[in-house]
Amino acid sequence: MMPTSAIQDLHELYDYLDAAIQLEHATLPPYLVALYSVHPGTNPDAVQILRVVAVEEMLHLTIAANVLNAVGGKPDLNAPGFVPAYPTHLPSGETDFEVGTGAFTPAALETFLKIERPGMSGRGARQLIAKARNRSGSFLGRHPRDSGWSYYSIGDFYNAIRDGLRTLEEEARKSGGTIFTGEPSRQVTSEYYYSGGGKLRAVTDLDSALAALELVIEQGEGEDHGIWSGDGELSHYYRFQQLQLGRYYEPGDMEPGRPTGAEIKIDWDAVYPVKPNIKLSDFPPKSELLGVAKAFNDAYRRFLDLLTQSYNGRPELLLEAVPFMFSFRNMVNELIRNPLPGGGNAAPTFEV
Amino acid sequence: MVDDQRFQTFLELSEAITGFGRVRLLGTGQAELYFATAERVVGHAIMDELLTAFADLPTRTPELLRLHLFGNEMLGDVVRNLVKLWFGGVWYQLPAIWQQAYGPAAEDGTFIPSPDAYVEGLMWVAIGAHPAGAKAPGFASWAVAPQIPLS
Amino acid sequence: MHLYMNIRRRNDLDALQQDETYDAVIVGSGPSGAILALELCQAGKRVLMLEAATETGKGFDGYQSLLTRFYSRVGKDNQSPFPVNPNALMPRGSELRKLASGETNSDSYIVQSGPYVSDTVYTRAFGGTSMHWEAKTPRMLREDFKTRTTFAQGLDWPLSYEDIEPDYRRVEREMGVAGEVEDHDGLDLSFPPGYVFPMHGLPLSYLDQQVGKGIDGSSVVLDGQTYPIKVRPYPQARNGVPNDKYDGGEGFTPQGAVASYQIDQGGRCQGNTNCVPLCPVQAKYHSGKTLAKAFATGRLDLLSQAVASKVSIDGATGLVSEIEVKVYHDPDHSAHRTIKVKAKIFILAANAIETPRLLLASGLKSSSGLVGRNLMDHAYLLNWALLPEVAGTFRGTSCTGGIVDLRAGSFRRNQAAFAVDIHNDGWGWATGSPFSDLQQLVDQRNMFGAELQKGLVDRLSRQLLLAFMIEVMPNESNRITVDPSYTDALGNMRPVLSMTIPDYTMRGAAYARQFARTIFSRLGAQDCTAYDPGDYGLVPYHGENYAIRGGNHLAGTHVMGTAKNNSVVDRDQRSWDHSNLYLVGGGSMPTIGTANVTPTLAALAYRSARAILRQLDGQTTAPSGLS
Ligand SMILES: Cc1cc2nc3c(=O)[nH]c(=O)nc-3n(C[C@H](O)[C@H](O)[C@H](O)COP(=O)(O)OP(=O)(O)OC[C@H]3O[C@@H](n4cnc5c(N)ncnc54)[C@H](O)[C@@H]3O)c2cc1C
Ligand code: SF4
Repeated sequence: MMPTSAIQDLHELYDYLDAAIQLEHATLPPYLVALYSVHPGTNPDAVQILRVVAVEEMLHLTIAANVLNAVGGKPDLNAPGFVPAYPTHLPSGETDFEVGTGAFTPAALETFLKIERPGMSGRGARQLIAKARNRSGSFLGRHPRDSGWSYYSIGDFYNAIRDGLRTLEEEARKSGGTIFTGEPSRQVTSEYYYSGGGKLRAVTDLDSALAALELVIEQGEGEDHGIWSGDGELSHYYRFQQLQLGRYYEPGDMEPGRPTGAEIKIDWDAVYPVKPNIKLSDFPPKSELLGVAKAFNDAYRRFLDLLTQSYNGRPELLLEAVPFMFSFRNMVNELIRNPLPGGGNAAPTFEV
Repeated sequence: MVDDQRFQTFLELSEAITGFGRVRLLGTGQAELYFATAERVVGHAIMDELLTAFADLPTRTPELLRLHLFGNEMLGDVVRNLVKLWFGGVWYQLPAIWQQAYGPAAEDGTFIPSPDAYVEGLMWVAIGAHPAGAKAPGFASWAVAPQIPLS
Repeated sequence: MHLYMNIRRRNDLDALQQDETYDAVIVGSGPSGAILALELCQAGKRVLMLEAATETGKGFDGYQSLLTRFYSRVGKDNQSPFPVNPNALMPRGSELRKLASGETNSDSYIVQSGPYVSDTVYTRAFGGTSMHWEAKTPRMLREDFKTRTTFAQGLDWPLSYEDIEPDYRRVEREMGVAGEVEDHDGLDLSFPPGYVFPMHGLPLSYLDQQVGKGIDGSSVVLDGQTYPIKVRPYPQARNGVPNDKYDGGEGFTPQGAVASYQIDQGGRCQGNTNCVPLCPVQAKYHSGKTLAKAFATGRLDLLSQAVASKVSIDGATGLVSEIEVKVYHDPDHSAHRTIKVKAKIFILAANAIETPRLLLASGLKSSSGLVGRNLMDHAYLLNWALLPEVAGTFRGTSCTGGIVDLRAGSFRRNQAAFAVDIHNDGWGWATGSPFSDLQQLVDQRNMFGAELQKGLVDRLSRQLLLAFMIEVMPNESNRITVDPSYTDALGNMRPVLSMTIPDYTMRGAAYARQFARTIFSRLGAQDCTAYDPGDYGLVPYHGENYAIRGGNHLAGTHVMGTAKNNSVVDRDQRSWDHSNLYLVGGGSMPTIGTANVTPTLAALAYRSARAILRQLDGQTTAPSGLS
């Protein structure tokens, strides 16, 4: 029997939102490794686009945390298994792709497009697609109560959350209550974090929750699956598509797949040959390089710690998390430029 | 020495004269470029002499490095230039007296071998800062004490 | 949000010559020109902008190419990102040399004669000097507007602080200023009740904090008065944390980078320590951000690589009839075409050296004869020392904090006031640090390896540079002129600059040196200041030598006043002689006090925009005196 996508109770909603936070985070390592695998000074267009998307994933992560906080949940980025072991599955109807860490290659770009692909929402329960088998390692975007089911796209997954919020809030109101019982001081707003696209607003009620999630969907896959989001930003899917098509979209371009802006050239050779899905066990034992890889994982754990604290009542700590991110960028670069004895270059392993 | 071995020796030499480990040096992405740059300016033969002098040191103590490399009339200016190249990303023109004695080094001059050489200067790492205009440390990072590796 | 830069370009020179539909022609794309363009276009007017430079830097890739150029330069002087363009030259410090009294250097773009040589610069680039300004944005003080009356020095403005205050707020919005009202405590200026800056102030650097620990709460005595001193943050036009309370609780949306396609940059300042000469991420305001919005109206057209060369006057009416423009194709070739452009109103916003240069080259000295005179620029005196402890120098924006307690006071009857900057980039400006230190430690002190690493920390991370920005009063003999024997590749006459540092300023400089020594001794810092006798900016004063640096805060050369005989423009920056001509920029300022000039000259641009709109809409005909 096909489970309904409607979220049944508050605990199920928490599960979904936990999964959302996990999902947003899980895309970061692949984007970051690809970003820093590019030789410095080359491929400015690809670098720029990867950077934007990564920055916006951070925004989405924060939005998901805000929604979870608004309904009285507790974001935890330090929970065991929070960081996936790459390669891993993301939401996908037929388990048709896995996401991993590695160099910026045409195949990686293909995967990124799949991550951000427009959903099939609006077709009722069909947004839930049966998977033949949910292989181990795949937990993202799945129906949290039934590992045999999964959403076709990230957008579909978020739409399920939006439906759930509506239903649960409606029920709560019937008995004079609300599900939005979270402490407003736990909300992270633009004062503490802003990036190019999208304002970070406090989530305090149904409308603000729906609007916040809509922004996430639009930045990922566009408004109504169009090229542009409501506030005129290009969605991630189409940003990546520009790299594939070799041309920028310009304001005014409405037809997907037919950008008319400036040309983009990619030099696929100007990329360090990072070993895909690298693990600490791939490093020479006791080597200096292994030390750096471990130091990175320590730093990354502290970063997740800082995020967890920021999302649990200390939003001002997000200001500290930012310099942190900048400093481990230098470590990532250092790893990626070092060849491994067995071939391929090193990279962070994200085994925290 | 065969090419790869020469490069490996260059890396070891670079570790000794910068005080930074091999991972950090390779992590700049500039090691090959610096090797090629120095060799292009001073020539294969002088580079060989430098590498051999270094490889022949019984131990790599500061005293022996001073005596045999920094204090060598021909090699001294070359290693000092390598130090400045690693720390500042700039190849400085060799002294005129060096040119007269050991030149001509036609490609000599003061230059930055690549825009990234500037960005990857180790001087910035040493002082817990970042090169002006690159590797930004993030908003408000300047308000707290610097993180200095050797302290 | 980033800003789309979709430039509307005119390439049809024949049609352009015939085009009589423009309401205004603006010369120059710096902050002055950009604000005028935006204000006029938003009011429905059609505007043509002439820019002498190429458009590099307008879009993201061009901007990046400037950055790469900067990385590659060994001499990273403040013009290093900008390639030499013989058709639209700009001053560069690297062209200067020491000159004996009466000796002339005409190899540099600005021709100067000794003994004093100014190293002041400005940028001829798309975006003007705002491409490499530092973006410190203090307002002038109330007493700065009436120094003649109050201190018997300089000139009074025909405007008061109160007249200009609302326009300061417009500037702070447009440029996105980060600052706190509280940090202005005790200064002779005011804000409307409840006012906050668009963004919160940037945090003081660790270096500032170390200096603050040593001196906050102490005081100095000058001219019989006690002045408490402390380190406080400067307001700055770079993106920080938006203030929720701004605009009656509406908050503020920072402006990101400009580009012709979607990018995500120009968010919060990341601490690149490179505000001058180029912010790599466009967190810093530059006038391209204003221009992007002006282009978006669809009513602004740009003609770049177009050097305004002559302003022509109709003999019968005294009105400007047209501007002659030399349009070139290739910066490296002088081949060009001369065309004439027309509009109802002509606005020169080419900065306080280029605007008078253009007027004088057109034979327009004005009835008062004051075009090019009263040239002002802050005189900078640098003082440098080593702090006893590591202070983390070389991090943060170029400057986050300073000492501004001696900007005002009765001592201004006798000597110049100053503001002090604490430079986060160490001794760079004074000695070429950190590269000069690296060379010294390796070549002279024979350091390498771990010892060198520690040596660098010891030498660099303790550096403290105090830059004193000292006021200079207007003086008719400090001036810009032109001379047909000095021309550029297009045959345009180059500016000739004559400047001496007045005694009033030098008294301030001598006191500044004394003040620095006091600060250093309170901090237990080792004073390393030494002025090279071969310095081209050396000024002897009472038996001591001081190296005076240019301040890049140019002003005074088409001074504003109450009447045709004492000034070039009225208080709306409208020429007394030619009623359809506006001279917009620092040149209009009668004094500069101790404030970096851009917020004030930008505030004047808003004022002029309103006057121009009134004039275009037929509401005024005569220049506005003190009516
Ligand atoms: C290193 C440095 C740091 C600075 N820091 C600060 C600071 O912290 N705070 C502050 O307030 N100010 C600062 N300034 C000063 C600030 O940059 C200027 O006050 C400001 O840019 C002036 O604006 P403007 O539009 O009047 O002139 P500009 O910005 O100089 O623009 C003039 C424009 O006119 C164009 N032009 C010139 N001649 C012609 C011609 N004949 N035909 C066509 N176009 C022409 C030029 O190419 C240029 O684009 C700094 C300046 C420098 C150099
Ligand atoms: S400190 Fe850096 S990021 Fe900030 S404005 Fe200056 S150059 Fe730009």
